Amino acid sequence: MSVPVIATRGYVAGYERDLPIVKGIDFTLAKGEFVAIFGPNGAGKSTFVKAIAGVVPCFGGTVELDGADITGHKPHEILKRGMAFVPQTENIFTTLTIRENLQLASQPLPRERQTGAIERMFEMFPDLARQSGRLAGALSGGQRQMLAAARALLLEPSVLVLDEPSAGLSPKLVSDVFATLKEISQSGVTILLVEQNVRAALRIVERGVVLVDGQLRYDASAQELIDHPNLGALFLGAEGAHA
Amino acid sequence: MNPQVLIDGLISGSMIGLGAIGLTLVYSILRFPNFAHGELITWGAYFAMSVAALLGGLVAGATAPLGPFSFGWGLIVAAVVAMGLTAVLALALDTVLFKLFRQRQSVMIIVVMASFGASMALRSLLEFIYTARPGYFTRELQIAMPLGGGMRATPDQLLALAMTGVLVVAVHLLLTRTPTGRAMRAVSENPGLAGLFGVDVDKVIRTVWILGAALACAAGIIAGLLVQIRPYMGFDLLLPLFAAAILGGIGSVPGAILGGLIVGLGEALAVQFVGAQWRAGVAFFILIAILLVRPTGIFGRQA
Repeated sequence: MSVPVIATRGYVAGYERDLPIVKGIDFTLAKGEFVAIFGPNGAGKSTFVKAIAGVVPCFGGTVELDGADITGHKPHEILKRGMAFVPQTENIFTTLTIRENLQLASQPLPRERQTGAIERMFEMFPDLARQSGRLAGALSGGQRQMLAAARALLLEPSVLVLDEPSAGLSPKLVSDVFATLKEISQSGVTILLVEQNVRAALRIVERGVVLVDGQLRYDASAQELIDHPNLGALFLGAEGAHA
Repeated sequence: MNPQVLIDGLISGSMIGLGAIGLTLVYSILRFPNFAHGELITWGAYFAMSVAALLGGLVAGATAPLGPFSFGWGLIVAAVVAMGLTAVLALALDTVLFKLFRQRQSVMIIVVMASFGASMALRSLLEFIYTARPGYFTRELQIAMPLGGGMRATPDQLLALAMTGVLVVAVHLLLTRTPTGRAMRAVSENPGLAGLFGVDVDKVIRTVWILGAALACAAGIIAGLLVQIRPYMGFDLLLPLFAAAILGGIGSVPGAILGGLIVGLGEALAVQFVGAQWRAGVAFFILIAILLVRPTGIFGRQA
């Protein structure tokens, strides 16, 4: 097997050293995979992805990106190495215009490629192009998620990590967002997402992992999870569900 | 009304405005009111005075007045060097003090107290090195030229006004038109997200200190040129600086300079109509009035 895009070993993270939320996770994500992280509230799903993106401190273990150790690196360094992370909320700059958000995101690129990268995103998301001069704060929930995805894809990352992209959206918008993610995945981008919307997510992802109390409890293909006799209990972290 | 009030107010207002820009930038990026900002103004003036004196002693003609102005080319060189030294001082202060609190995610009041302590320490150090006796860039006396309408100003004062205008426009363009400015606005809205957009937040913080310190130094040099250089000069400006920054709206460069001019004019008017002893009270009065009526200031946004 080739080098995984993301590989964590004994990964421990949280907000305070003596109160870890992620308690030793071994996880790998292969190139081109589309994987969702599920689990009950407080299981550490968001903390896990935030920590590998460099937002939350790591207190133990390691995380590798394309074979290079990125444990403890700063978010902007991790982004430059090819992992783009989209937080659940506050994932765009509301006081900048749509174009300024994308210009800011394009800054790590060489100057001559910046405009082209922004235009490519406007082609992919024509909704954003039509209102490029508006303040991003004026966008609706769904449009905000589109802008957040656009700015993350702009650098052509080797892996896209999203924290609950469907949170707070109407069912129609959820299926729009998921359809877009499916397209992005089919274009060859590796995607890791945290989701509460289990059944909808299982229709688009290839594999799902379940975190319970900061530990990885279950790791299976989407089909296995769909066929699981006691899916509900599994996601609530009930013991015996993974027997 | 004596129209001279306008000139006096504009000149002291531009000094306040230059200082307030640094204060407002540091506040919007690092999220604390830096009580040591006045000391950057004072240290900037002392750095310039020391370098100018050194140049004057080493190179003949460095202090010979240039054209209508009271100072020689030595002070211009000294001003540039002093801006660099003030920036180094600000970066050093950040490294040994403020950075530690950022890493520990300390609450704002702790950082404010630390900045107050730094302010006292820096001021006492200056008094220790230079004594409390006032210093001057030049002993030349200037005659104020009539400007028409009953107003007069010295060439130095007019130069100070022009320099303030140039610096303010330059900083405003930097913030609104350049990638550096865009990154600064992003960090000001959400530092965590800025990192995820690829912004090196530490670099933005360094840029803000350098910019704020250089402008504080410029304000100190102007104050030293027009009045005198004293260890308390920056500290005495602190209240007007805060009044100007809050009046203009925290984070707004045009707001800071406009706030500075309003406070400066207010002080000058108070001297004429109420009495010179009320001068210092004006900034305090304006500060309380804004906090009561429009806490976000002229150009401020809702938090």
